[in-house]
This record gives sequence, C-alpha cells and structure tokens, in this order.
Amino acid sequence: MNTKIIRTLVRKEMLDVFRDKKTVVIMLFIPVILYPLIFFGGMQAVAMISASMKEQNYRIVVDAADDGAFARMLAEKGKEQDGGNAETAEETAAKQDEEENYTITLVDAGTVGDYEAALNDELIDVYVSGALQNGKMEYDIYYLSSVTNSSYAKNIVTEAFDEFREVLTKEKIREAGLDVHEILEPILYEKKDTASSEQSLGSIMGSILPFMLIISLMMGTMYPAIDTTAGERERGTLETILTLPVTNRQLIISKFLTVAAIGIVSALLNICSMGGIAFYMYKVADMQTDAEAFEIGRFLPAILVCILTVFVFSLFVSAVTMCITAFAKSYKEANNYITPLMLVIMFTGYIGFIPNVELTQTMAMIPVANICLLIRNMLLFKIDYTAIAVVLLSNVAYAMFAVLFLSRIYDSEAILFGDGKSGMQLFEKRSNLQKGGVPTVSDVWFAVALTIVLVMYAGSMLQMKFGLAGVFGTQLLLLCVPLVIIFYTKRDFRLTFGFRKTAVRNYPAAAFIVTGFYAVNVVISTGLAGLFPDSTENVVTVFDKLMSGNILAVLFVIALAPAVCEEMLFRGMILQSMKEKYRVSAAIGITAALFGIYHMSLIKLIPTGLLGLVFCYVAYRTDSIYPAMLMHFLNNAFSVIISCCPEQVRRIFPIFYQDTLRFGDVLLLLGIGLALMGIGLYILKKGSRRGRKEEKADF
Amino acid sequence: MGKNRITADCLVKTFTKNEKKSRKVDVNAVDGISMTVQEGEIVGILGPNGAGKTTLLRMMSRLMRPTHGTVSIQIGEEEITDDIEIKRHIGYLSNNTKLYGRLSARELLQMLGVLYGMSKTDTERKIEEISDILSMESFLDNRIEKLSTGQTQRASIARCLVHDPQVYIFDEPTLGLDILSSAAIIEFMKKERDRGKIILYSTHYMEEAEYLCDRIVMIHRGKIVSEGSPDSLKAQTGKENLREVFAELIAKEGIADEH
Repeated sequence: MNTKIIRTLVRKEMLDVFRDKKTVVIMLFIPVILYPLIFFGGMQAVAMISASMKEQNYRIVVDAADDGAFARMLAEKGKEQDGGNAETAEETAAKQDEEENYTITLVDAGTVGDYEAALNDELIDVYVSGALQNGKMEYDIYYLSSVTNSSYAKNIVTEAFDEFREVLTKEKIREAGLDVHEILEPILYEKKDTASSEQSLGSIMGSILPFMLIISLMMGTMYPAIDTTAGERERGTLETILTLPVTNRQLIISKFLTVAAIGIVSALLNICSMGGIAFYMYKVADMQTDAEAFEIGRFLPAILVCILTVFVFSLFVSAVTMCITAFAKSYKEANNYITPLMLVIMFTGYIGFIPNVELTQTMAMIPVANICLLIRNMLLFKIDYTAIAVVLLSNVAYAMFAVLFLSRIYDSEAILFGDGKSGMQLFEKRSNLQKGGVPTVSDVWFAVALTIVLVMYAGSMLQMKFGLAGVFGTQLLLLCVPLVIIFYTKRDFRLTFGFRKTAVRNYPAAAFIVTGFYAVNVVISTGLAGLFPDSTENVVTVFDKLMSGNILAVLFVIALAPAVCEEMLFRGMILQSMKEKYRVSAAIGITAALFGIYHMSLIKLIPTGLLGLVFCYVAYRTDSIYPAMLMHFLNNAFSVIISCCPEQVRRIFPIFYQDTLRFGDVLLLLGIGLALMGIGLYILKKGSRRGRKEEKADF
Repeated sequence: MGKNRITADCLVKTFTKNEKKSRKVDVNAVDGISMTVQEGEIVGILGPNGAGKTTLLRMMSRLMRPTHGTVSIQIGEEEITDDIEIKRHIGYLSNNTKLYGRLSARELLQMLGVLYGMSKTDTERKIEEISDILSMESFLDNRIEKLSTGQTQRASIARCLVHDPQVYIFDEPTLGLDILSSAAIIEFMKKERDRGKIILYSTHYMEEAEYLCDRIVMIHRGKIVSEGSPDSLKAQTGKENLREVFAELIAKEGIADEH
C-alpha cells in the first residue's frame, strides 16, 4: 500500500517535471547537444586562429651594428619555413607537419623612423636594435605584448637569437681548436616518466572529473528541486495535495526520490557526453602521436566507485537543495536562496584541484570535499576501503538528516501557509520606508555579504599597504556598512545597535566571563594548532608584524577599534535583527557562526566562533551591547599584551607560550577558566533576576 | 445516532505574529468554534474578511492542525478521528487548491483514484460517471493549463468527487465565476445534499447563501456570532434579508468589542 502510494506520487512528480520544456532543455539539450557543439566549435575556432597566425607575414626591423649578420640569420629562418631550403624530403615533411608557414619581411630601418610609433600603429611587428658594448653585441627586442602578431614575431626573433648564439658559440669553439661536442655537451641526460599512462591520465582526470560531476549533479537536481517544492507552491497545487489521504513522509519521500532520480539521470548524461568528448580527444591525440595506449580495464574500480558516488551524492544534493527551496514561495525566490548554496558547493568542489589535500578521516566526513577527494584517489589508484565506506555512508546519513529536516518543514504550517515577510528594504524607495525598528534579516544578510567582500579585498589591501593604520581603516569601513544601512532604511539607531544601559554589576560579570573564556580558549586553540600544524605559522608571522608597533597604538587598533566596530556590526545589527525573526538560540548561533567566518581563517574558525557565542550570550542576557564591547576589548587586549610583552608575561604565565600543553596545564587552565566564567555567569543571573523583579514592580 | 455527520469540538487556532515593535503576539484566528453538520444539510459560513473562515475550513478538512480542539466524522456506526482517514471522506475545494496544469484531467483523476485506494475499474467507472455529470468529455484529455476558467472549475469539482466522499467542504467555491458556472456549482451542491451528503461551505454572496443554505453560521474574529436557518436569523434581528442581518450582527459585535 505504502509503496503504491509513493510510486503513484513519484510518477505524478515525474510527469509534472518532464512535461515542462525547461527541464527537458536543461537535462537533455545541454549535455547531449550543447556541450559537444561548444567543444567542437571551440576546437575549430582555436584551429582557425592558430592557422591564421602561422600563415602570417611578420615585418621585422633589424637595426644593428653587426654587418647584417643577425638579419641574414633571420632571413634564412624565414626562408626555411617555406620549405625551400630543406635539404631532404624528410625535413620538408617534418616542417610541414609543424604547420609553421610564416614568412618574414625584413623592413629597412630607414623607412620606419620612430620605431615605437611604428610598433603601435602595427606597421612593423618587432624592432631589433643592437650595438657593440665592451666588445660584445647587445641586442634589444622591442615588441607589443598586447598584439598577438607582435608577440608571435617576438618568439620567432628569440628563437633566431638562440640559433644565432649557438652558431656563434660553435664557431668560437672551433676557432679555439676544441671539440664542439665535448664542450657543449659534457654530459647527457634523458627524462623517463615512470608513471604508467593510466596514472598520468588519472591524475589529470582526478582534479577535473569530480568537479564536473558535482557541477552537473547540482545543475541536474536544482531545477526539479525548485519545481517540486517552490514551483508547486507557486502553482498552488500544494494545498490540493495536502487534501489527499497521504502522509507527509510519503509526500516528501516521493518528491525526494523524483529529484534524486532526475539528478542521477542528468549527471549520467553529462558524464557520458563529457566522457565522449574526452574519448574523442584521446583518439585524435592517439592518432597523431604515438603515446602509450592505456587499459580502460584498470579504471574499472574507479568507474564503479564514481557511479556509486554519483548515486549517493545525488541523494545528498537533492535533499539539501530541497531543504532550501522548500522555504521559497516562488521560482524567483528559490533561485535567490539556491545561489549561495551553489557557490559553497562549487568552492568546496575546487578542493580536487588543490595538491596535497588528503582524504583523512575528518575529510571523509566533509560533504562535497569527500566526494572530490575519493574520486581523485580512485583515479590515482589509491584505494582505501574504509575511506570509501565512510564517504558513502556519511553522504547517505547527511541525505537522511536533510530529508528529516525537510519533513519538518512540510510539517510547519507557518512555512506552508505563511505569506512571508521582511524582504529586502535596501532597494525600496527611501520615502516608502517606515521609521524605527531594526533592519530586516534580508538587509542584514546583504550587509554580511558586503562586509565579507570588503574585508576580503579592501581590508587585506589596506593592511598590506598601511599595516596597523590599515587595520584601523578596515574597522572603520566595517562600521560604515551598518551605519549606511540604518541611515537609508531609517531604522532606530539605539535599538539596532543595542545601545541600552545595563546594570553596573554586569560589567565585572562580563570581565570575569571573558577572562575565564580566554583561558579555556587557549586550551582549544592549542589543541587545534596541534591538529593542523602548518596553518598556524602563517597567521603568527602576519600577527607579529602588526604587533611590532607602539603598544598603545597596537592596543588602540587591535583591541579598542574592533571592540567598538565589530561589536556594533555583530552583537549590534546582526544579533538584534536575527533576534527579531528567529528564536533567540538560533539568532545567537547564526551571529556566532558569522563572527567565526568573518575572521577568515580555518584554524581560528572554532575559537572565534565560540568567542562570538559568549559575546552574543552576554549581549542577550544584559540586553545591551556595552558589556560585549568590554569583553571584546579585554579579549583582544590579552592577546596584544601576550605577544607584545613576551618577557614580562612569560615570567608570570609561561603557559601561554607553549606549543603543546601538558595534561596538568590543561586541567589548570580549564579549571581556572570555568571557575571565572561561573562567577561571571552567577553575577549575571543574579542581576537579571533582580532586574526582572524591578520590572515587574513597575507594572 | 445513525446519522452521518462531521463535528468540530471547540476548535482554536493560534498564529504567532511578529508585530512591528519587536514583540511576538499570539492571535487566535479561530477562537473556540464548535459545530456539527449532518447529512442532507448545507451549512454556510459567513463572515467578513479575516474572520477565520478559511482557517476553520482548513482545520475541519485536516489541512491544518488545530491548536486545541478536535474534529471527527461519524459514518454509520463508525467514528473517525484519524487525520488520514478523515481526509478519505472529505472533498475539499478552495481557491488555493489548484490542479496540476501539466497533467490532463483524466490523468489527475486516475492518480487520485490510486491515492484514495480505489481499484482501477472503480476509478475508470467513476471518471466516466463524473465526466457525464459535469459534461467534461470534450476536455478530459487536454492538459489542465489549457482549459478555460469554467472548465478548470469543473475539473476541480471532479477532483473532489472522484472518491465519492461523504463530506464536502468548499471554501468560496463560486468566487469569481460567471453566473452560469456558479449556478452549476449551486445546483451540484443541492443535488449532493439531496443524496444525503454533508456540505459545509463559505461564501461572501448573501443571496446565494440565503437560497442554498439550510443553516447559516456567522463568524467574526474567530468566534460564532450567530447561528440558525436564514429565516430564523432574519426573525432574530427583524431584518428583511441576510445582507442586512450580516451588517447588523457585525456592527453590533464591533461595538461590543471596543468595550
């Protein structure tokens, strides 16, 4: 009974999706027709361009005081290309095979005048000048790198110079009465690649194939995922299906199976199409050169695992995309939601191109990355059965979680029947906006994206150029983002930033908590540094450079400025707006995660994320941004002092300078840290209880 | 006791709304409504926009879960309370229950037959019968997105009929239809009532309600304001027609609310 219902629903979804032109175009037209067309079109274009370049006549001016020796050399080289000078028939054939059919016209220097102008006007392609200096001829080759012909002619001239030099060297050696061969080639060497042709092919495919697989699967699932979730809501058929005697689970499983199946078919079509092209290329190359043939059979395990991963990954991608598109009410909205997901998946997919990233136990658990690395390893014949199992199972597990989450979305009436609110206000006309309140979550997401871009480009540039002052500039830039948004959308300044008075006792409480957490964080960071030993060094050197200034200036820039600017952005605008839309715990989690990501360092992600969590919690409990600012200042100040005054601090707390911690140290730090945090939290709690009582008394 | 009926017992639906000033406010869209509709009876739900009509009908057809209260259906000696089982006996129609435009009406009805657990021959026979009643032969195999408004509405009704439900719940079924199409729907409802079906429907057209309904339930702000046959309502308020009764009751309620 159960399977019958699911089968019927799947059939309905399939019919529904396939009767839409867009799906058919995306699924069939693109891989089966468009890819080969683009490929062969591209090949022809490349062939035409290179042919036109090689049939070119290059005009070269040689203005050198060498009695025309080089000009003769060049003229000869030009003639050789016509095949006229070839001594044997074989040589002619070889020359023709290389398809170098250019001719050289030597232009008289007198007719040109200003060579730079002539180069710019493309009257000549290369200008060579030469003068005798200290008994040696020195030549200059002038060309325009921006013009293809000129660059190409430059290469020919350079080649001619190499030959010229060789001829002259041989002459000199002969003049000295020595053996030319003995002098020029005192040793011989030859390169021999011990990689089998399968291995070399595998290493090329290993970086490209997983990426292509991921992209094609994503493209294949994206459209049906939108169509079956947001599309269904847009067309208004969701309420219809809810009237049927069908459980949520049946509904979701059938949608999920449909999307996953379409994804698999689409991915397989993509792979076949690209594989066909690759095979064709290989055959063409095979006919022209006599490269070693490879045995397709050796790739069999890799191909099998690839197909398995395509299945598993399509489950994963379908479930995750559907989770996101289920929130959308229309195609347009779903597209907006899905773009960030696509970017994340694509960037993670690049991991196959990075050398030296290995498929460790941890890596095998990271979605997308694990698929890439697994396929790469398989193609390099590194077969590890545990890794295969972990990758496949973790993907299935993630897919299952996502499906469970999806069924929770479909259980939520607020999402199904809700009409949505709080869109972007930034692009509304300012006069249409109402005053007051905090920015909408959409505006805040926009702000976050803008901030990350700013920090990434402007921030790192400023920092490199101006050092400490640049860091300060970046902080000011950070502050501009929320200020502009608040000004434009007419939000309430104090409400948005959480500028509210709070009880005096909350400040010492905050200080206790941050001090305690600093100790705990030392344990966490040292532990993480032990896990990823390479990544820390880079961070440390950049940091040290910044710290070398005057300690007061460093304190101001590294501790005070972020305490104000970063807090106003994170615990101010982001936390306050998120709190409006989501539950408090979710708001705190999102803000903390963003704070971690904002620091843009994989190794610092967890410590800063946790730090963000603590700041958020205190800001929420005290209902004010000021204690969080104090905490941020203290936390950064500790770091500054530890690295600015190593001698003094080392004498009191040697613990901060150890690369690894002994078990006793860990216990000590954790003990002190947690105790301090406990004191702080106790003061906070006591305060807020009293605060609430006072509040009640007001009524 | 043997009469078929659908019963709503003290239904409450609470929505959490985000107000402008940062605080979340709970609003009861439906605030303690109890009612019973028996076989051979058409009950009309009247009320201004936002009164909670749609929410009430959605809860009674089990599209939404009530915050409090229960819905049950009595068929013969059997009392049904399970959501999925209740759905089997209900034909629900609203402006939000669109049809799959890329399927034909026949494909849609066949699919529904399977989902309602009917046998293939039963489904085919039922499709023949429905297309006769609603004269759908000419467009039964066309894609639904290509049909006219009236044809689409007929296909929608066909969707509610295929499993031969005991209860019809229609949310503004005649909204935006021309006179002929809405007359067809009204006639259909009358015919089904005479066959002993249970019919609950909401509308904004007072004349239609007066003509069609055996009983009228007026709701305002999630509560039942008044209930009774069209004649008894008119007698209660001393008004000539239902339109005036409606205006009178809502106005009274509005004043009462401000105190």
